[in-house]
Amino acid sequence: MADYFAGIDIGSTMTKVVILGDEIIATVIGPTGVEQRRLANKVMEEALSRAGIPFEDITYIVSTGYGRINVPFADKQVTEISCHAKGVSRLVPAARTVIDIGGQDSKAIRIDANGRTKDFVMNDKCAAGSGRFVEIIADCLGVPLQEMGTVSLKSKNPASISSICTIWAQQEVTAGQAKGRPIPDLVAGVHRSLADRVVRMARRIPLEKEIVLTGGGAKNAGLVAAVSHMLQTALLVPEEPLITGALGAASLGRNMVEKAIKKGISLETKKRVLDVVQIL
Amino acid sequence: MINDFIDVYKNRHDYAKDWKKKNPDSKVVGYMCSYFPEELFYAAGMLPVRILGSHEPQNVTEPYIFGMYCPFSRDVLAQGLQGHYDYLDAVSTAYPCMHLGQAFDSWTLHVTQKKFYVDMPNRVQTPYAVPFLTGRLEETKQEIEEWIGREITDSDLKEAINVYNENRALLREIYEMRKADDVPLTGTECMYITTASLFMDKKDANKLLKETIENELKGRKAKTADDTRLMVLGSENDDIKFLNMVEEFSAVIVTDDHCTGSRYFWNPVEEQDDPIQAIAQRYIDRPLCPQRDYPERKRLPYLLDMARDWNVAGIIALQQKFCDPHELDKVALLDWFKENDIPTIYLELDVTVPIGQFKIRVEALLERLREDELW
Repeated sequence: MADYFAGIDIGSTMTKVVILGDEIIATVIGPTGVEQRRLANKVMEEALSRAGIPFEDITYIVSTGYGRINVPFADKQVTEISCHAKGVSRLVPAARTVIDIGGQDSKAIRIDANGRTKDFVMNDKCAAGSGRFVEIIADCLGVPLQEMGTVSLKSKNPASISSICTIWAQQEVTAGQAKGRPIPDLVAGVHRSLADRVVRMARRIPLEKEIVLTGGGAKNAGLVAAVSHMLQTALLVPEEPLITGALGAASLGRNMVEKAIKKGISLETKKRVLDVVQIL
Repeated sequence: MINDFIDVYKNRHDYAKDWKKKNPDSKVVGYMCSYFPEELFYAAGMLPVRILGSHEPQNVTEPYIFGMYCPFSRDVLAQGLQGHYDYLDAVSTAYPCMHLGQAFDSWTLHVTQKKFYVDMPNRVQTPYAVPFLTGRLEETKQEIEEWIGREITDSDLKEAINVYNENRALLREIYEMRKADDVPLTGTECMYITTASLFMDKKDANKLLKETIENELKGRKAKTADDTRLMVLGSENDDIKFLNMVEEFSAVIVTDDHCTGSRYFWNPVEEQDDPIQAIAQRYIDRPLCPQRDYPERKRLPYLLDMARDWNVAGIIALQQKFCDPHELDKVALLDWFKENDIPTIYLELDVTVPIGQFKIRVEALLERLREDELW
């Protein structure tokens, strides 16, 4: 029987699960919502169903993301820094820098050829450099979130938008609308502003090629183009940029088990039961 | 014992008020910078107490200090404006950074009028620093004498020096004990001890330190060799919550470079014929605050030696948000530790600590240090 490993990444906005055999055999992506502990059970059930394997067959489960402590069936919790590093390295072995633009934070990680973290930076105490920024502006302009990227690419004259604070940027967008600025220019300005914030943070670590962009931000073509333009280099984006954390979690789980076997020790695991967690 | 220090840390004002009741003819003087020469005031029979913030959000300082000054300087001033230090007979400082300087000026305008300002030179590396400070301390001594109406004798000064040197030696002994593989006390406990010492009559502190070392720390194992050894460094830091959070992850903080930690007590006053000059020499020679670490950058090799001597695996550099001296220091410091292969993270402190956001950074550092477990 093959060994299976699961990684579950509970981000501030999306929850992701990857089940890994020799290759990825199932992935599930769903919104995190307010009841993340209940959702952890549901998305794992869904992933098992897609993989067509019973829960008992999962050898080791690693949780990550800001909700990682809310996964009662996880055998180990690992930060998203280590998990993104490992996950990206598995998908893009040549990667040396990961820029992750998530729902409420963004980070840049320098990695080695084995996917080990060599250095990292995260945004400081403010979500202005994160996906939430685009969500708020999309709401404000009435543009569907998934269309923000393509709308921004239509702009020939991007507006200049402050990158200091989401709320101020929102006011600038509203003022721009009042003056009749075309929506694509405002959206492009917002993407430049977000990219500027992310790039300034990322430059605090030495940026080495290949640079891989992940997280929800990597699904936004306008943002990818803006970050790429500012860094003056092409960026690589995995086919599904949301799953690198969960994939890294599953891969690190495999590493840990293999190491334990070599050492002749066994790792503690949780009971393979998807209990509903009572939220107090 | 350690609990007694925790009590003083938490009830620092009650401690000072009790001291005043027991010593009705003596004065309590608050000070704002660790370059303040406490020995002079102790020799005059006073209790010097460090003024620290409360880590509680406040809304009283806005009219009295710039909003872009560091959260610590604003928190310190808030303590005065809120009346928490109403038992002080005088407020004082040695020439500090610009931010604490404004907290001091504002305090003397709006809270405590009686003040002592010790003109501690900024350029401590010049040969003029010791004679300059010796002269300034002579003047401060005269000011104190006029205030209390009696002379401070050489014998008073020598006794004060002895008490303070004993305190420094005892605190240093505790730091030496932290070099052990099985550390006898956590970094959090040590922070309680060193910070409480800032508020205490050093004779009381010394008695308690001796008891704690003899009866509590010897043979104790608070952490083991499996815990990851870390050093914290940076600007003022008495953030117990932060240290506690770090040590929950199988880590132990074994040493520090903070003005409320090791920098406060590291070197003793070396004996000289002139006790005032001996005191001046001690403050010029002490481990440097980044504001005074010029033109030669002495902190870099000093901190690397400390990291190696205490066998730390990683470093957490913390600074008060907007702290100019540390903001400048950090650039060279982070490069220096990178060149010397000591993984370091850098965090900015505010009045309250964003525990959730700091947790992931600290855990990621620890995962990097324990990479053999994961990779």
